[in-house]
Amino acid sequence: MTRLFRKTLLSASVSLAALIAAQAATAQEAVFVMATNEVGAPTYNPIKATMLNTATGLIFDRLVSQAADLSYHPWLAESWEEAPDGMAWTFKLKQGVTFHNGEPFNAETVKGWLELFKTTEGENGYMAEAIASVEVVDEHTVKFVMARPEPNLLYNLSSTFMGVVEPKSFAALGDNYGVTEVYGTGPFKLESFAIGQETVLVRNEGYTWGPEVAANHGPAKVERLTFREIPEDSTAFLELKTGGVDFLLSVPADLMGEVQKEANLAVLTMPGQDVWYMPINVTKAPFDDIRVREAAAKAINQEEILASVFGGVGAVADTFLISALPESHVPDGAKIKFDPAHSNALLDEAGWAMGEGGVRMKDGQPLKVTLWTQSDSIFRRLTEVVQAQLKAVGIEAEITTFDSSMIRDQYKTGEQHLAVRSYNWDNADIVDWFFGGDRLGYPNVSMFNDPKAEELRAAAMTGAKNMDERIANFTAYHEYVLTQFPMAPIYQPVQAMAYSTDRIALPEKIDAPAFGAAAFLDLEVKE
Amino acid sequence: MLPWLIKRILMLVPVFLAVSVVIFSILHFIPGDPIDNLLKIGSSPEARAEMEARYGLDRSLPVQYGIWLSNVLQGDLGTAIVARRPVADLIAQALPHSLRLGGLALLFSTVVGVTLGVVAALSRDRWSDRAIMGGVLVGSTMPSFWLGLILILVFSVSLGWFPVSGARGWQSLVLPVLTIGLGGTALVARITRVSMIEASGRDFVTLLHAKGLSPLRIQLRHVLRHALIPVVTILALRIGWILGGAVTVEVVFARPGLGTLLIKSLAQHDYPVVQACLLMLAMAVMLGTLMGDILQALMDPRVRAAMT
Repeated sequence: MTRLFRKTLLSASVSLAALIAAQAATAQEAVFVMATNEVGAPTYNPIKATMLNTATGLIFDRLVSQAADLSYHPWLAESWEEAPDGMAWTFKLKQGVTFHNGEPFNAETVKGWLELFKTTEGENGYMAEAIASVEVVDEHTVKFVMARPEPNLLYNLSSTFMGVVEPKSFAALGDNYGVTEVYGTGPFKLESFAIGQETVLVRNEGYTWGPEVAANHGPAKVERLTFREIPEDSTAFLELKTGGVDFLLSVPADLMGEVQKEANLAVLTMPGQDVWYMPINVTKAPFDDIRVREAAAKAINQEEILASVFGGVGAVADTFLISALPESHVPDGAKIKFDPAHSNALLDEAGWAMGEGGVRMKDGQPLKVTLWTQSDSIFRRLTEVVQAQLKAVGIEAEITTFDSSMIRDQYKTGEQHLAVRSYNWDNADIVDWFFGGDRLGYPNVSMFNDPKAEELRAAAMTGAKNMDERIANFTAYHEYVLTQFPMAPIYQPVQAMAYSTDRIALPEKIDAPAFGAAAFLDLEVKE
Repeated sequence: MLPWLIKRILMLVPVFLAVSVVIFSILHFIPGDPIDNLLKIGSSPEARAEMEARYGLDRSLPVQYGIWLSNVLQGDLGTAIVARRPVADLIAQALPHSLRLGGLALLFSTVVGVTLGVVAALSRDRWSDRAIMGGVLVGSTMPSFWLGLILILVFSVSLGWFPVSGARGWQSLVLPVLTIGLGGTALVARITRVSMIEASGRDFVTLLHAKGLSPLRIQLRHVLRHALIPVVTILALRIGWILGGAVTVEVVFARPGLGTLLIKSLAQHDYPVVQACLLMLAMAVMLGTLMGDILQALMDPRVRAAMT
């Protein structure tokens, strides 16, 4: 009886597994799991959306592509030219490009698309606000007449938010555009979209105009892509492990070890766009004294954090910007690096003498400060290490943990001394966002409002006529901010992904800042 | 009975109003701002003010509440601030998934729970009774998040019988239904057992024995019918609980539904969606309670008599 039961159970499980396997991805189909920070993107409408996911970049091409070194390269635009005074840009467009609904891509469609930014209600208008008007020079040449010089234009044009939209269908579909139907010129077309659940894309068979940075310019090698949205990292990992999916577009640091233990799984890392840092509230004593700020900043041992918290994956941060940006290249003296001897000397000089129990004292008061963090486990772990490192130079930090979704509002009170947080952005204007004097509280968590910084900020934001000037101005602004120690840079993570080596063959080189269209065009599914 | 029913339904009105005030207030008193999720790097303070005005967040809380309640009563749940779609559309997409999952879990816990309760009552104080009640105790104390992961590890990772997550096909429903249903099974089994034991000692059972009916027939046809009255009430009350209890299970199994929508919208401080989700869950509890009362009245002549 027992043997019969076992036999029945075994055959049932084999049949069930076979049934499920039969439903799994076929050879020409790959199943991806969206990065957790992209879960819940409600629309594929780049004009209106405030949140877009990886699949958006496969539906919509852009005029300009970006390489891994953040340099700009042709995509739908073959070439471009900027007027010497920065007041006009002329783009030569690729010929023979069509949208998914058969409409041609030409100068008229570019004009119609850019007008949507001015006529559509939404928050993305600023991407094109410097463009005063668009002139159609000929069918494949378009001229942007600028309201002011905008050296950041190529960055904006390479953003997913400036994916080229087909204007006629945009007008016809109204609020349904990006939800039920969507038409770009990209290497994949939208087949179905269930918000928060799943997006299915199918190959654009006529695609031959891939970005210059991709080895394959089209069509893509994979016929069909399914993007699943799984909010729980451990569930996503178990799906990969059991073959339910082929690729995770994000893997948290604490699951990397688990992925590496599996023989048929591999980790793919690409340069990150995040910086983890410790904002220092410059208005709150004792950090209103620049010497104490510098002492706290130089007490942070970035190398130790990289090794102990992040398992050596990623890189230390010694400026506020990701190292791929040219504006991060400040003189060595401006970089903020671990120097405990200097920290101790500065605190001594500021009158904070080492007291009993390893906590410094001044006028009978201990050097006790507040240190805020958010509830995610990785933040808590990192903050505890930061706390220990501050204690090593005599600063006692008391940790307060807030829910991740509420901490921004807490920052608005400006009551914290220190915090541990991160940002994700690949443009130097992030310095303006977090240290601009008119954004105190949040996003300017450091409450930094410095007259000289404001002058440099104005020059960086609007004073440049071309990209070289912009880089120089932002580098100067960034350098000055660093020397005022409103924060301590800590860590630059990598973008970590995981995939099944049984199913996915990656290109040898992915020359792009993120795993986007270039990577998907070159990616293959193993037969 | 009709006057009682009308009175009972009218009693839901103040409850609904009180619940709506609580839902609206809690959301606005917790820290967090939906506009933060809309503003992109580079947005100006003027853009924030304009957006607050657009979504009516610049008005006083009582005014915002009045507008919201008036719209809800007219069937307009508003527009999601972050998702930028009618909230009713988002609820309409999520609700069928939650109802399917909750309904199957309720069915599972009813069938299995009543069966186990009857078996335990019939074999009172024997090893099978102790085994069932022991198992039931373990089942009722396991957190659903943990139980879900354990079921995934056993049935998906080790045995490969069911998919780890998602909402494709009946296979993907098995583990989530088990996760939610097992907790309910424990409750139903315990109540069935206790009710049957209690009913077995009643005078009418002695009378039936005296009439010469077989003990099994007495238990299954007469005692069970009597014992099911509290079970039905509990099951009706669990309708709302099951929808709410599915929140964590939907996240673990990456299933669409009210729970997933609620968690995502809470993180984004998308007030209209969170309010609508909480209102749906509260209404499910209110309607469940009403249904429990009605069913109890229909099944128990003494309750019916007390109403008239």
